Amino acid sequence: MIVQGSPVNRRRALLLAAAIPALLGLSLLLGPSGVGLPDTSSISGRAIIDLRLGRFVMGMLIGAALSTSGTVFQAILRNPLAEPYVLGVSGGAGLGAALSILVGGGILGAAGLPVTAFFFAVVTLFAVYAIAGQGGGMPSVYSLILSGVIVSAICSSVIMFLVSTANVEGMHTVMWWMLGNLQPSSWGDQFVALLFIASASVALWLLAPALNVLTLGREMAHYQGLNAGTVTVSSLLLATLLAATAVSMGGMIGFVGLIVPHVMRAIFGPDHRWLVPASAFGGGAFLVLCDALARIVMAPIEIPVGVVTALAGGPFFLIVLRKRMKYAWND
Amino acid sequence: MPGMTELGASALAFRGVTAGYKGRTVLHGVDFGIAEGEFVSLIGPNGSGKSTLLKTATGLLKASEGSVEVFGREVSSLKPRERASLIGVVPQKLDSPMAFTVGEIVMLGRNLRGRWTGLEGRDYDSVEKAMIYTNVFDMKERRFNELSAGEQQRTALAMALAQEPRIIMLDESIAHLDINHSQEVLRILMNINREERITVLLVSHDLNLAAQVAGRLMLVQQGRLVKNGSPEEVMQSDLLSRVYDCELRVRRDPFSGNPVVSGALDEMLRRPAVRKRLHVICGGGSGIELFRRLSIEGFEVTSGVLNRLDSDAEAARALDIPCVLEQPFSAVGDEAFRQAAAMVSQADGVVIGPVPIGPGNLVNLRLAAEALAAGKPVWIASGLDKRDYTPGKEAAEMSAKLRNAGATEWKGIQELTALLNRAWPESQR
Repeated sequence: MIVQGSPVNRRRALLLAAAIPALLGLSLLLGPSGVGLPDTSSISGRAIIDLRLGRFVMGMLIGAALSTSGTVFQAILRNPLAEPYVLGVSGGAGLGAALSILVGGGILGAAGLPVTAFFFAVVTLFAVYAIAGQGGGMPSVYSLILSGVIVSAICSSVIMFLVSTANVEGMHTVMWWMLGNLQPSSWGDQFVALLFIASASVALWLLAPALNVLTLGREMAHYQGLNAGTVTVSSLLLATLLAATAVSMGGMIGFVGLIVPHVMRAIFGPDHRWLVPASAFGGGAFLVLCDALARIVMAPIEIPVGVVTALAGGPFFLIVLRKRMKYAWND
Repeated sequence: MPGMTELGASALAFRGVTAGYKGRTVLHGVDFGIAEGEFVSLIGPNGSGKSTLLKTATGLLKASEGSVEVFGREVSSLKPRERASLIGVVPQKLDSPMAFTVGEIVMLGRNLRGRWTGLEGRDYDSVEKAMIYTNVFDMKERRFNELSAGEQQRTALAMALAQEPRIIMLDESIAHLDINHSQEVLRILMNINREERITVLLVSHDLNLAAQVAGRLMLVQQGRLVKNGSPEEVMQSDLLSRVYDCELRVRRDPFSGNPVVSGALDEMLRRPAVRKRLHVICGGGSGIELFRRLSIEGFEVTSGVLNRLDSDAEAARALDIPCVLEQPFSAVGDEAFRQAAAMVSQADGVVIGPVPIGPGNLVNLRLAAEALAAGKPVWIASGLDKRDYTPGKEAAEMSAKLRNAGATEWKGIQELTALLNRAWPESQR
């Protein structure tokens, strides 16, 4: 097998896989109500276990979705800055989710929130593309990122406007949701999200060889026998679905979609056949760990998990990247 | 078509192909054929449409008219994977933003074949063979962007070869390599062309290199195929001088017998320190190109009388050309004329550019008449009667007089420089 580092990668993948049950254990043991497994014979104990398990599932799902989405955006745009936030996708999803929370998306049931969020995210993505590509033809990466930042800013202003005009209850819900948290929704919601995230991730993993070729640019991909346009559009849509589902579930959790893909690329190399699953599990594990910290650092007060991802994750990942960036990106 | 007879089936055929980008047509009715096993080089000036032709040949760009056939099949009807197994492309520079190793990059040439089924032993064999052929096998564990430019291009070539294509197209792929590395890549190409009978289409702006390795040259100019034939047929100094719009000479290499083209730089070096001086009569932008070309040809150039703020006056200032100036928008006065006449008396000859002549600058023609009277040669741009804005058509009359007195007419800079060369052979300048 010519693919470099495969035995090494296999070892690293095993480590990552082994980390997940450990994190599950940790997740069940830690909480604002105290360290240790709660008494399962009491109703409140069972509720706590249930809650902690839910947090674990939420963390895994949202982390995996954000991180996989970031990995794919970075591959398609061939740019280390790309991630759902930068492209305005998260902003659009957030706007959709805020509308859904305030106005209500009742008819769609459990899928209402993610579907509205996805719809808005896709509309945003198209708007970003349309603005960036005004000159005709494929827009450049720089104009995409620039228009993404602009559209993102517009979306957050609209959210602010909606919040300011909402009633107290709605305002509270949206603000709390926007801060980013892993408060589990109903098991039904989680099941729908699992369905979305798992199928989109697997589809992207199947597209991994195509993503590898696409990193050489759309023109080279054409020469290598890839239908570059179709693959670009379908993987962008799948990545948008992931980001939108994550945002609709956990609100605006930053940092995961940008930095976890970089670290995973530094550890596993740029081959997307390894990178896509590694990012999914790595992102999930990272978010679960951050959430565990968020619950206990200032117990019984919980801090929003988004704060922890940046504050605790930032320095750690910077160290990793300083050492291993050359295995991820060229210059 | 040349080269088609003894060789195999058609590898690439353009039939009346017109193609381009949104709102800009680049190729106009291009017609040619390449037979399987040929080594053809596509040459032409920058911006002549070479890369567009390549993009059209690979189906990246759709022809708006005509048809492009690859091994007898319309390129747009090929499935992406079929297309990749027929055509391999080596780009100008392969750019991999992510840190892939050489082995991984070459593998990408094969990657999409086993997308659903996984790669087989045959795929690995093909990749290994391509790496051995291009001499990158030893560096397969190294990261692509740590390689030198030559090694990177060999890797790109290996990636294209791993596709096992029947035709390989190279887009200026060796343009930025030093002589050692470009020779190495060319050797590999000639080998695969001879041994594996892979057709090669090499886009190049290095004429000598193209003529050295290719069996046939195709010369494009402004989106049209102007010459298609053997290196001897295409490497003609007048043809190349016209297409590249500069003085070029073709000699034979004493060792290989290949035609070799060279510019006029070597002659410039042999020029004596004392140079001929030419006074240029121009105005309204007609002198800019004259100033530039005459200076490059090694003449000392003076000019006047020009009006201040005239674009020629600005150009003269920028090029440090001594120049007699008159106030803006006013007729040439006596003082300026006297100065210009003194300047002309110092010159070895006078060139009259394609300048419109009105009552204000009619006296400038008298400068030329004085030069003729002093026995100095004068070259006058043809068609002055069409640029005559004097009320009594005095300029046209004057021009006829000048010609009767021995002034030579010229059309286009190319002709002027030829005339100047005849008057003063290089050795005397």
